Amino acid sequence: MKKKNYPLLILLVTLLSYAMLVTSGCSSTKGNETGEVVSEPNNTLVLGEMWDIESINPINGDGTLICEKAAITETLVGASEDFSLNPGLATSWKQLDENTWEFKLKNNVTFHDGSKMTAKDVKFTLEKVISENSKVASMLKVDSIEVVDNYTLKIKTKEINPILPGVLHYPDTAIISPSTYNEKGEFVKPVGTGPYKFESFDDQTRTLTVVKNENWWGGKVGLDKMIIKGIPDPNTRAMAIENGEVDFTVDVPYSETDRIDALDGINVEKFKTPRVYKLDLNLKHEPLEDVRVRQAMSYAINRSEIAENVLYNVGEAAAGPFLPTMVWANKSLKPYNQNLEKANELLTAAGWVDTDGDGIRDKDGKPLKLNFMTYSARPGLPPMAEAMAAQLKEAGIDVETEVMEMGSIDDRKEKGNWDLYLAAYNIAMVPDPEYILTNWYTTNGTDNTPGYSNPKVDSLITEARKITDLKERYKKFNDVEAIVYDEQPMIIVAYYGCAIVKKDSVKGYVFDPTAHDYRINADMYLEK
Amino acid sequence: MKYFIKRTGFMALTLFAVCALTFFLMNVIPGGTAELILKHTFVGLEESVTEEQLSQISSRYNLDDPLYLQFFRWIREAFVTGDIGTSYVFKKPVLYLLALRLPATIQLAGTSMALAAVAGVSLGIYSALQENRTSDHILRIITLFGVSMPGFWVALILILIFSLKLKLVPVLGYGSLENLLLPAAALSLHSAAAVMRVTRTSMLETLGQEYIRFAKAKGLPIWRIISRHAFKNAMLPVVTVIGFQMGSLLGGTVVIEKIFAWPGIGSLLVDSISARDLPVVQGCVLAIVTMFLLVNFLVDILYTRLDPRIRYG
Repeated sequence: MKKKNYPLLILLVTLLSYAMLVTSGCSSTKGNETGEVVSEPNNTLVLGEMWDIESINPINGDGTLICEKAAITETLVGASEDFSLNPGLATSWKQLDENTWEFKLKNNVTFHDGSKMTAKDVKFTLEKVISENSKVASMLKVDSIEVVDNYTLKIKTKEINPILPGVLHYPDTAIISPSTYNEKGEFVKPVGTGPYKFESFDDQTRTLTVVKNENWWGGKVGLDKMIIKGIPDPNTRAMAIENGEVDFTVDVPYSETDRIDALDGINVEKFKTPRVYKLDLNLKHEPLEDVRVRQAMSYAINRSEIAENVLYNVGEAAAGPFLPTMVWANKSLKPYNQNLEKANELLTAAGWVDTDGDGIRDKDGKPLKLNFMTYSARPGLPPMAEAMAAQLKEAGIDVETEVMEMGSIDDRKEKGNWDLYLAAYNIAMVPDPEYILTNWYTTNGTDNTPGYSNPKVDSLITEARKITDLKERYKKFNDVEAIVYDEQPMIIVAYYGCAIVKKDSVKGYVFDPTAHDYRINADMYLEK
Repeated sequence: MKYFIKRTGFMALTLFAVCALTFFLMNVIPGGTAELILKHTFVGLEESVTEEQLSQISSRYNLDDPLYLQFFRWIREAFVTGDIGTSYVFKKPVLYLLALRLPATIQLAGTSMALAAVAGVSLGIYSALQENRTSDHILRIITLFGVSMPGFWVALILILIFSLKLKLVPVLGYGSLENLLLPAAALSLHSAAAVMRVTRTSMLETLGQEYIRFAKAKGLPIWRIISRHAFKNAMLPVVTVIGFQMGSLLGGTVVIEKIFAWPGIGSLLVDSISARDLPVVQGCVLAIVTMFLLVNFLVDILYTRLDPRIRYG
């Protein structure tokens, strides 16, 4: 009997050692890979990217990665620091009539596959992206694209669309060579014109490797190679750069930025990105439809304290929906300063007084109680919600915060059973104010979550749409900004920041405020 | 043999039930499927989606069909062609994604289980032999710590100590043994502690039996008593616990894989749920459930060998 059982014990031991074998087997086959990374030439940069790299299709939603972070592709239109447009792969563009635009292209640009970039390739890219990416299609509103000559292109839109050049700055519209696809039309790899060429994408570890494009039209490229790894956990990103495993990363936990900056050999820089922390107020609910309550709430919030103590200065107190550095921003607006006296006056005038002495205001026997939802995909949001709830409580408003999953938030928004919603919205998906102001503040705007409606705002935006003179156009938009500043249908709390963490040996990096997260510039290099 | 067939049948039934449950639950949780797919692939998390985009996605993936029809289509495809769908987010066949990701998870969970079993059993026996002495108390405090500490916290502390302070292993990476050590240790801590506690209790109980006293009276050395007489009898509940720990290990990979950027199916599953990447969710759940069932099947077979009185009809 005893003997009979021995083989089974052996089996157990074998099974356990099997697990070990699996691992050691892997170490012998893949060990070289890690060894290789160490023995790479000095001019290879390892980048710790903030999102998991899911796919690398530049026109199908991964444009930000391929165009801005990996610098494989480039867009027709560029943008400068103040978000005004400047030439990219297109040298110039003009509006021929209401619905027709003419784009002139650079004539010295070659793709990574060696072919020259012509108007035909641009037409190919734009048509492909319009058919596969409905978001871009809805922004471009293109009717037809006509190749005039090798370097001239005519684009007809279905309706007047002044933001067309701005949309062509959007990374998903970056120009790709037809060799990005095989004969069957299947996606193979991104082939662009940028400073870095696609080398490989490891499907298993989801690591993207790009190498220097020796023939880049823009001149010298700083790095020989860049290895981009998705590290979704902010704590892990912090420890990876501390341990020297990545050279460049972004958004370590905000509370860690100062500690990491103080370390030898690593520096942290904080920038503003085109995104704002915005509190939507449900104007269909009784207390919030009163403009005085909304203003009082804005006065109750201490924006600079939030920026300093919640965001650790990765971000800044905000006045309006646009960064003051944007060329079209209304620069006369200043952030609401916390003023509890004013908040008290406004709320009292609106009829909300604390009659039962419980610290919460009430009216007709109903307490001033609001629910507050947010999500956790962006680390600043949940603590910010808590801080705001505490500040609102000081003004006698009872706020209950809930951190929820995106699906549940959408569901609540649809059903209307919400009061406050804190989110981080992009404000320059397209470098033009029309897109945001239309979506946020017009009566039928797609992102008009609060349900705000002001005929004056609607007409100002409609009028601006027909004006081609930028100064005149921006004046109308400034008026819109001033109106919504007074009426506060959404409380803009802070500008979204980005912490760039890099080793001191990384030189020549220039932050591009128009990038959607961050952009890797061609000049960046490693110092030995 | 008959038992084997019956058992396999039950396993298939369980798998089917799990698939059906996952499918319908995924459709019950709040939020529109098409909308969330769009947010996670095209437009960005906070952006709104247009009707046009919704209908484009819905028709591309047949999301407007009644649920039973979608499910039926999925099952038919799975049975007829063996194809369990294509990911909405990764735009790759689910089987391909699983083939890429599953080895990493098996490696991680397998190593953790081996670590948990070896460490748990040996420390448990040691602790039982040292009952109520100082080393026993120390070990029991450590296990209490192991059972109570959340995995993600342990993982970060391990990185802090072994990577940043001692510089022994890298924080990130996949493929080599040194990459595996920290995630496996972090993952196994909880299970090792659980196994150890059960081993200790069960061992103490066995050591109190008369036949052990008899063996002692015979003058057998202690190691011989343990290995020949006590071990096998004490192992029965331990094997059960190890089998169940497989479940908690697979659950733990979800968090640990995220922290170590480990390319397994745990992190894939979480991302796919929030993106409503239904085919991938199905595939991952299928893989995880299969692993769990297989391990427990193995445990049941081990039973009969450990205790010949147990026979399955």
